[in-house]
Amino acid sequence: MSIASSTHRIARFALYGVLALFCLYYLMPLYVMVVNSLKPLSEITSGGMIALPKEWTVAPWRNAWSEAQVGVEATGMRPYFINSFLMVIPAVAIATILGALNGYVLTKWTFKGSTILFGFLLFGCFIPFQIVLIPMARALGMMGLAGTVPGLIFVHVVYGISFSTLYFRNYYAAFPTELVRAAQIDGAGFFTIFFRILLPNSGPIAVVCVIWLFTNIWNDFLFGASFSDFNSQPMTVALNNLVQSSTGVQEYNVHFAGAIIAALPTLLVYIVAGRFFVRGLMSGSVKG
Amino acid sequence: MAQVPEGGSALKFSKSKGDWLRDALPKLVLSPSVAISMIFVYGFILFTIYLAFSDSRILPSYGWAGLQNFQNLFTLRAWNIATINLAIFAILYIGICCALGLLLAILLDQKIRAEGFIRNIYLYPMALSFIVTGVAWKWILDPGIGLEAVVQGWGFENFEFNWIKDRDMAIYTIVIAAVWQTSGFVMAMFLAGLRGIDQEILRAAEVDGASTFALYRRIVIPQLRLAFMSAFVVLAHMAIKSYDLVIALTNGGPGIATTMPATFMYSYTFTRNQMGVGSASAVMMLMTIAAITVPYLWSELRGSKQ
Amino acid sequence: MSFLDIDKATKSYGAVRVLNETDISVEEGEFLVLVGPSGCGKSTLLNMIAGLEGVSSGEIRIRDRRMNDIKPADRNIAMVFQSYALYPNMTVRSNISFGMEMHGVRKAKREEKIAEIAELLQLTPFLDRKPGQLSGGQRQRVAMGRALTRDPDVFLFDEPLSNLDAKLRVDMRTEIKKLHQKLGTTIVYVTHDQIEALTLSTRIAVMFGGEVQQLGTPQEIYDNPTNMFVAGFMGSPAMNLLPATLRDAEGGVAVELALPDSSYISLPFPRGATLSGQDGRAIVLGIRPEAMTDPESADAESPAIHQAELSIDVIEPAGSDTYVTVSLCGKDAIGRFRANTSARAGARFPFSFDMAKAVAFDPETEQRID
Repeated sequence: MSIASSTHRIARFALYGVLALFCLYYLMPLYVMVVNSLKPLSEITSGGMIALPKEWTVAPWRNAWSEAQVGVEATGMRPYFINSFLMVIPAVAIATILGALNGYVLTKWTFKGSTILFGFLLFGCFIPFQIVLIPMARALGMMGLAGTVPGLIFVHVVYGISFSTLYFRNYYAAFPTELVRAAQIDGAGFFTIFFRILLPNSGPIAVVCVIWLFTNIWNDFLFGASFSDFNSQPMTVALNNLVQSSTGVQEYNVHFAGAIIAALPTLLVYIVAGRFFVRGLMSGSVKG
Repeated sequence: MAQVPEGGSALKFSKSKGDWLRDALPKLVLSPSVAISMIFVYGFILFTIYLAFSDSRILPSYGWAGLQNFQNLFTLRAWNIATINLAIFAILYIGICCALGLLLAILLDQKIRAEGFIRNIYLYPMALSFIVTGVAWKWILDPGIGLEAVVQGWGFENFEFNWIKDRDMAIYTIVIAAVWQTSGFVMAMFLAGLRGIDQEILRAAEVDGASTFALYRRIVIPQLRLAFMSAFVVLAHMAIKSYDLVIALTNGGPGIATTMPATFMYSYTFTRNQMGVGSASAVMMLMTIAAITVPYLWSELRGSKQ
Repeated sequence: MSFLDIDKATKSYGAVRVLNETDISVEEGEFLVLVGPSGCGKSTLLNMIAGLEGVSSGEIRIRDRRMNDIKPADRNIAMVFQSYALYPNMTVRSNISFGMEMHGVRKAKREEKIAEIAELLQLTPFLDRKPGQLSGGQRQRVAMGRALTRDPDVFLFDEPLSNLDAKLRVDMRTEIKKLHQKLGTTIVYVTHDQIEALTLSTRIAVMFGGEVQQLGTPQEIYDNPTNMFVAGFMGSPAMNLLPATLRDAEGGVAVELALPDSSYISLPFPRGATLSGQDGRAIVLGIRPEAMTDPESADAESPAIHQAELSIDVIEPAGSDTYVTVSLCGKDAIGRFRANTSARAGARFPFSFDMAKAVAFDPETEQRID
C-alpha cells in the first residue's frame, strides 16, 4: 500500500516536472524578448542573451516606439501601430455584423440551396491568399484604394466574412428554432427577430468572433505587405522592416522591444479573454 | 420518422401577393456576402488561373501562353527547392506538432492542478504574429548572439548551433519556430477531444483491468481520430500557406535555401516580374490545399445536414 | 362549417408525405388533443394550424376564414411550445408583453393585461425575473401567460408538459384543464402521452403514420377503438390483444382462447353477435386489463361476467392495483387485480372476464369487426 502510494507520488512528481519543463520551453522566447528589450545592446552582443540585464534601461522601448528608422523617416513604430488600429477596428466590426446576419439567414431562414451557398462561403476560409493577390492588387487600384488603410479594411472584411459567417452559423444552428417561431407568432418580422431575440443572446459568439478577427487581422502580414504603402503600413510590416533593414548596427534590443509592442494588443486580448480566444481557435478549425 | 427537419424549410410561408419582400428579405441580406465571395474568392481564383496560362510579366497580360508557365515553373531550381522545402517542413511540422500536442494533452489530462494556467502558457504563442515569432527565434537561433553564443559563454567553447546560417539546415529552424507557435494549439484540440470521450467507457475499461498505457493506446487514442483529422487539415493548410514566418525568420535565405511556395509566388510575381509563373505557382498551392480541404469540408457539411 | 376546420389538409416534403388527407372540425370551446407516437404527423398538423408550416394541399379555416396564406402573427392564434420558447434575454414581464408590443398595443393597455394575466397564473412575484431564474412549472406558466395576452381564437399547445417531471406534469395538467374551464377558449393540444389526452380533452384525434386513426371523445376512443393501433396505444397497461378463434355457441357467439398446455377456454362474446355463422374464424380479441380481474373486483353491473381459472406467471404490485401476467393465446396478458389480492405467482387463480367490454379485430386488416 505504502509502496504503491509512494510510486504514485514519484510519478506525479515526474509528471509535474515534465509539464514545468514544457512551460519553460514555451516561455523562453517571451523571456528572451522581454529581458533583452530592457538591456543595453552591448550586453546582448557580449553573449548575455539569457542573463537578466545588468543595467536596466527603457531606452530600447522608447527607441522602438518613436525614434527607430522604420521607413524613410525615423518615426519609430508609433504611426504603424496607429495604422493597425485604424485598420483592425472597422474591419472587425463590419465582418462581424455581416457574419451575424449571414449566420441568421443560413440557420433560421434557410432556402433551397442555402447549405451549398454556405459551403461556397466556407471555402473562403481555406484558400491560400496567394491565389487572390494579383487580382486584388488590381481591384484595389481600380477602386482607388491601393496603398490605403480603407483598402486594407476592405480586403480584411472580404476574407473575414467566411470566418464570421462560420462562427455565427454554427452558433445559431444550436439556437432554439422554437424561439424564432414563438416570436413569429408574436408578430415579429425578420429584423425584429434578429435584433430583439437572436442578437441579445449572441454575446459569447460575438466575443469569440471579434477576438478571432482581431487577432488574425492584427497579425496579418501578407495583405499588409502587398497592399499598403509607407503611409498605411500595419504594425507587422513595420516590425519586419525594422528587423530586416540591414543598414548599420543590428539593434537587437530595439527589435525585441518592437516585437513586444507588435505582440502586445493580441497578447493582452489573450490574457483578458483567453477562454474565448481558444474557443474561436477551435471552432475556426474544428467545426461543430 | 417523418418529423419536421429542424430548421429545414420550417419558417417559410406560402406566398401571397405583396409579400414577396418578406420572402426575398433573407436572400437579400445574404446576397452581398455571396456576391463578395463570388467575385473576390471565386472570380479572383479564375482570374489567377487565367493568368497562369497567360504571357503576363510585370503586369497582367492576356496573351495565351498555354502550359508554358507551368513548364517554366517545374524547371526552375527555386521552385524545386520550394517544393522540397515544403515537403520537409510539412512532414516535420505536422508530425512533431501532433506528437507533442498529443503528449501534452495526455499529460494535462491527468487531473493536474493549475491545468488552466499551464494550458494558457502552452497556447499563448498562437496569439502572436508569425512576424513576432520569427523575430524572436531569428535572434535566439543567431549564432552570434543567441543559443550558440550563450552556451559558449557557459564554457562549452566547441558548442556549435548555426543551422540558421547553414543552407542545408536552415529549413529546420523554421520547423522549430513553427512548432513552438502551433503545438500548443494542437494540444488544445486533442485535449478537447479527450474531454469529449465518454467517461463511462474509460471506467468500464478500468474495471476490465486495462493499464493506463493500454487505456490510452487501445481506447482513447483511437477515439481521437476526428481530432487527428482536424489537426492534420489545419496544420497542412498552415504549412502550405506559411509565408510570414519564413520572411521574418530567414527571409528565404541563406541564398534561396528556405524558399517556400508562398515566398516563391510573392517574389516571382512582385519582384521578379514573372507574373505568369507566379500565378502558376499560386494555382499549384490552391490545388494542393483544395485536395486536402475539399473532402474535409464535404464530409463536414454532409454530416451537418443530417 | 365549424370554428376551426381542417379540410382535406396534407403536407409533403418533396416526395415524402408526412400528413395524409386530414379532415377535422373543431367547435368553439372544444379541447382537441392530437395524440400519437413521434413521427405520426401531429406536430406537423399543429404547425400547419399555426402557420409555421405551409399546407401542401387542402385548407385550414378559422372562423370560416381561409388561413393557408396568412402569416402566423395574423391568424389570431397563440402557441405554447414544448421548450416554452421564452426569450432568455427578457424578463417575464417583457416576455408576456412582447407579442402585444409587436401588435402595437399601447403601453398602458399592456401593463393592465400583464397584471391581469400574472394574477391569473400567480406570476406576479416573478415578473421582473429572467426565465433562467424560474422553475420548470413557472416557465410553463409564463409560456401560457404569453399566449393568453392575445385573446386568441385558438390556443395551440405543442407537448407543453413533456419537459416537466412526473409530479409537476400532473399538477400542470390540472392547471391547464382549470384554465380551459375558466376561459372556454378553443384548444388544440399535441402530446404523445395518452393519459394527458384522455384526461384533458373533450375530443381526441389518435394519429399514426400521417393519418388520423380515430377521432372521438375520450370515452369512445377508450371503449370503442376502431383498430388495433388505437386499442394498443390508448390506455396503460395497454389493451390485451389476443389471437383467438370465433365459435358459434348456443344463444350466440363465443371465443376460444388457447392456454399454454394446448387446452382451451371458451368465453361467451355478446358483442360479437353480428359475427355469428363464422365458426372457426381467426380474430384478435381486445380486452382491457380492468376487464380481467379477480372475482371480487369484477363489475357487478356487467351483464357478461365469466370466470376461468388461469395459471399466474408474474405478479406486479403497483400500490393501488396489482398487475397479474398470465400466458394466454401465446401472449402475455395482463389483468388488473385489487391491491391485497391473494393471487401468487406460479399458482392457479380464478379470473373474471368482463366480456361486455371485449372487442374483436380482424387479424389481417387490424380493423374492428364486431
